[in-house]
Amino acid sequence: MSIAKFLVRRTLQAVFVVWGVVTIMFGLRAVSPGDPATLMLGEGATAETIARVRAQEGLDEPIYVQYLDYVQGLLIGDFGYSWRSNREVEAMVIERIPATLELAIAATVVALVIAIPLGVVSATRRNEPADYGATLFSLLGISTPNFWLGLMLILLFGVWLGIFPTGRRPVGLVEAIWTLVAFGSAGDLLTWLQHITLPALTLGTYFTALITRLTRSGMVDELGKPYVTATRAKGLPAVLVRYKHVLRNTMIPILTVLGLQMGTLMGGAVITETVFNWPGLGLRLIDALDARDWPLMQGIIVFIAVAFVTINVFVDALYSSLDPRVNDE
Amino acid sequence: MSQGSGFDLRRRDVLKATGVAGVSMAGLAGCLGEEAPDELTITLSQFPDTIDPLDHITGDYFDVLDHIYEPLFDFEPGDGIFPRVVEETEILGGGVTELQLRDDVVFHNGDDMTAEDVAWTINRTVDNDIGVASDIGAFGLGSITGAEAMDDTTVEISYSGAPGLAEFEFGNYARAMNRDWSIENHDADQEGESISGADPEDFNGTGPYEVVEFTSGEEVVLERFDDYWGEEPPFERVVFNSDGESSGRVSSLETGETDVTINILPEDVNTVQNADNVEIRRVTSFRNIFLPMKNTVEPFDSQEFRQAMNYAVDNAGIVDSVLSGFGEARGQPVAPGINGFNSDIEPYEQDIGMAESLVEDSGYGGIEIELTVPQGRYLNDAAVGETAADQIDQLDNVNCEANIVDFGVVSDANSAGVDPDVIEIPFYMIGWGTITGDTDYGVQGFFSQDAETRSFDDEELSDAIAESQSIEDPDERRAQLEEVNRIAHEKAPFVFLHTQESIYGVREDIQWDPREDETVYVWGMNQ
Amino acid sequence: MISDRITSNLRRTFRESLLPKIGMVLLVSIVLMAVFAPLLATHDPTRTGYYDEGGNAYPPIGTEYTTQIAVDGEIQEVEVTADSAHVLGTNNVGQDVYSRFVYGARISLLVGFSATLMAMLVGVPIGLIAGYYGGRVDDALMRVADTMLAFPALVLALALIGVFGESPVYVPDPIVSLGLADGMPESIPIPGTVTIVAALVIWVWFARVARGEALSLRNEEYVKAAKSFGTTDRDVLIGHVLPNSVTPIIVLATIQVAVIILLEASLAYLGFSGTTLSWGYEIERGQDILRTRPWVSTLPGIGIVLTVIAVNLLGDWFRDALDPNLDEGQRGA
Repeated sequence: MSIAKFLVRRTLQAVFVVWGVVTIMFGLRAVSPGDPATLMLGEGATAETIARVRAQEGLDEPIYVQYLDYVQGLLIGDFGYSWRSNREVEAMVIERIPATLELAIAATVVALVIAIPLGVVSATRRNEPADYGATLFSLLGISTPNFWLGLMLILLFGVWLGIFPTGRRPVGLVEAIWTLVAFGSAGDLLTWLQHITLPALTLGTYFTALITRLTRSGMVDELGKPYVTATRAKGLPAVLVRYKHVLRNTMIPILTVLGLQMGTLMGGAVITETVFNWPGLGLRLIDALDARDWPLMQGIIVFIAVAFVTINVFVDALYSSLDPRVNDE
Repeated sequence: MSQGSGFDLRRRDVLKATGVAGVSMAGLAGCLGEEAPDELTITLSQFPDTIDPLDHITGDYFDVLDHIYEPLFDFEPGDGIFPRVVEETEILGGGVTELQLRDDVVFHNGDDMTAEDVAWTINRTVDNDIGVASDIGAFGLGSITGAEAMDDTTVEISYSGAPGLAEFEFGNYARAMNRDWSIENHDADQEGESISGADPEDFNGTGPYEVVEFTSGEEVVLERFDDYWGEEPPFERVVFNSDGESSGRVSSLETGETDVTINILPEDVNTVQNADNVEIRRVTSFRNIFLPMKNTVEPFDSQEFRQAMNYAVDNAGIVDSVLSGFGEARGQPVAPGINGFNSDIEPYEQDIGMAESLVEDSGYGGIEIELTVPQGRYLNDAAVGETAADQIDQLDNVNCEANIVDFGVVSDANSAGVDPDVIEIPFYMIGWGTITGDTDYGVQGFFSQDAETRSFDDEELSDAIAESQSIEDPDERRAQLEEVNRIAHEKAPFVFLHTQESIYGVREDIQWDPREDETVYVWGMNQ
Repeated sequence: MISDRITSNLRRTFRESLLPKIGMVLLVSIVLMAVFAPLLATHDPTRTGYYDEGGNAYPPIGTEYTTQIAVDGEIQEVEVTADSAHVLGTNNVGQDVYSRFVYGARISLLVGFSATLMAMLVGVPIGLIAGYYGGRVDDALMRVADTMLAFPALVLALALIGVFGESPVYVPDPIVSLGLADGMPESIPIPGTVTIVAALVIWVWFARVARGEALSLRNEEYVKAAKSFGTTDRDVLIGHVLPNSVTPIIVLATIQVAVIILLEASLAYLGFSGTTLSWGYEIERGQDILRTRPWVSTLPGIGIVLTVIAVNLLGDWFRDALDPNLDEGQRGA
């Protein structure tokens, strides 16, 4: 199957998945307790007003009409209005993307920078102290709940050592870079770095551990393959063998797993943002849940689903270009 | 709303840039992390999720919005109301009071404020057909029926209750919005439409501060409004942000990222006391914490059972342990300092034997009940609720479990009324700040049979409240309100718990005494 | 089903490596702790009010702390010392931290194992049928699976809890009802919605693995042979396909128990589980008092980490011994 055809098929599947998520969310909202008009209007609204708002918002229409309206809205980028703040949901989602993106990228960078060398060292020095250390670290990493890790980091670096702030995001990365470029002041960038350090470590630890394990096991497999032995025999420096060929072949499963783990990353972001009061999508989702602001909640979840499947389509594309043997399923 | 937000972002950055260039050293110092002298940062525990000045009834929201949409009167907790935007009031009789407004008040967008604006804002607050159904209208301006502009500076307010009550209500809750601006930009006369947006231009009040930067849900930056009619407020720039964790707020205070922060937990008092240049300020709040028991369902229909619950709970002990002493045990619906507080009434003291025998008398021995408790709303709320439930559980003849939920669940339960077919949660924990300073506000919504949201259905108590509403003489009315509190103590519609202390962390050089009504006003501060 | 080769593999790997031994010892200890919680606990874990005379929580034995309290309106600094009755101190409502630690293991393990079992019971048959028959049934299943996987587990759980509430289920305690542990709670609440939601979130993984096995087996000669002798599809599935899928499913189940324990802890931490007797909730409870009473958050966290490590070590052991082909991608949630 050609790559183009594969991608078309994959994209169609992705569209189907997004439709599924939209439908499930709509279904959940429909069966959720509480009258939407009452939730929308808040305490103290009269029965009269509620009735009028029900009519106005189309809540008296049959459920399939409401569903079609909702889907139709989504197609033109209209996610509806937040019941609580009366703002457009899409705007409320978009303005929170940078914070979550910064956090996710910082965590991934932390993970890659630590994990790949660690995995390589671990695989090439099997059963030596370095390998045991790396194994222990990765075991701890995948077994530690990240909210607890966050609190322990706060306790250690925030409370006892007083090195890092324990919450909030006073400045965004783009703004910080802008101050640096426009005024030559690195203060904002420093502030940003200080504030993102603990959240990024918190979110990144699990992935660091996971990728360390993957790199190690992948490398061990590859190093045992005939081509490595053969290259060695030809006299190429061992280091070159390790990094170039072996790592490249090891990257394929890592990429796949990373794509699949985007969901875990988002879940982790919700928790991390809560622990550190980091104003991203996750924190907004929790706020929306607390206020039972369904349109906002739906909007955020649909957005996350779209992001998830898009990333996975990209991962698949990357995968297929890295590994020509790719097949569907 | 429809303009691209990308443009606004850039425009705001330019503003910031020129700010740095213009203020030079001071601005630069701000950038490098040192506190610019004329800037004040206040960290709240919750950032307003709505910018409509009427669409909320929450302390943190008032803290921000009152600086932009100033109150028409100055309210001094315990002392009553004083002229501000309104210069004079006159009771005309027949349920009407006349307000005389200043003639030099302007909105941040440059429009003059007129009596039309004030009357429209009050009507929008109390009339659900105009704009969003206002929480302030539902709870704050309960007896106000409407307002009318007589000329440019005269407004007549009509109400259904006593003039004293009406004065307490509009004295606290009346604000002025710019009618034409609100309608043109936000359709604010359309049913269900609230003021919303993510730009500084989406705010337009008459307060001493105007909005210059706004990051929705995170931060708002205010600057002195040059054309403000009154006294110049103490700081040039005021920044409001929020942090949901007390320890986080304290960290920000320690590192100098913030100057004033609210709702500090007793656990964190130590840290603030030990940090340099900041200190703890505190005051006993008007907020009462209690456990309503809906008496239209079993077992709470029994007065003996309700009293037994009061004897089972050691509210003084809870204050000492869970609140580390930062509160006072209570035995009536309102706090000291509130008009109508009955100083003859002592809190119920824990008496397990008495509680058990009252439960037997009630005929509900061996019953299982559940206490629903909110989390993160009041001072150590979940811990208070869990302890109270466990103390009830320790009675030999009652089993009680705590169910810890989100505040929304409790809030819905509280406004669900007393229809036994509808009640799902008859026993829960809630707090009520009687911020009008008058008992009526603390009892009307809970006990009056006119109130759909009542939690307790009792004719005697309801009649006593109704009587107080019709008394015009202030002393007589106060005596009647004290009687209301006495009846409430005896009938035990709540398990009375405590009034909590408001604990603030403040930079030492800021002169400011915290208020009993939990609001933070920058104009009440001095450097 | 479980062949001699597999058991000997398991034995060999167990002998050769230290890690499975550690995992085994840890998990057995934790299971024992959970089972005999009422006998091991020193206090009723839900009983509040174990404070010193000033109303302050006790620190763990061997430690002390200072805190500030208001007495008659004045702030005073007080020293709080440990009490020998409370080995690990008490928490902010004066509950015994050690007893809650012991009981917390029950919730974690009960939710972890029962949700995994439920997911297995739902996921495996669906996966087997889809893989065995292929075609439309299979397509439909894969699309449903993709959709489920597009929800981050935590987010799906939050949405479902928003709809169905927390619904705690009170499970009676056999040890207490036999009269062996006086003064301990007669029943403990298990977070009902959380358990169901956890199962809902992970059944897809079981379906996928079972499907893969069925897919590869249906063309095997012996399966074809069985069919040609007139064996019904049902009997082929139960008699031939299922036994061959057992090992990868066991490996997957072990990993998923760890995933669920972490999910339950996260939901309890966020306050959505409806019960307070849980390591996750205990961590949340300690967050506010991290500065003065760090032990309240620290200890239950160690409990979670040790339990999850134990389960993961056993999972690694199973995987190494049984099915080296499963990869880390199965660790999804």
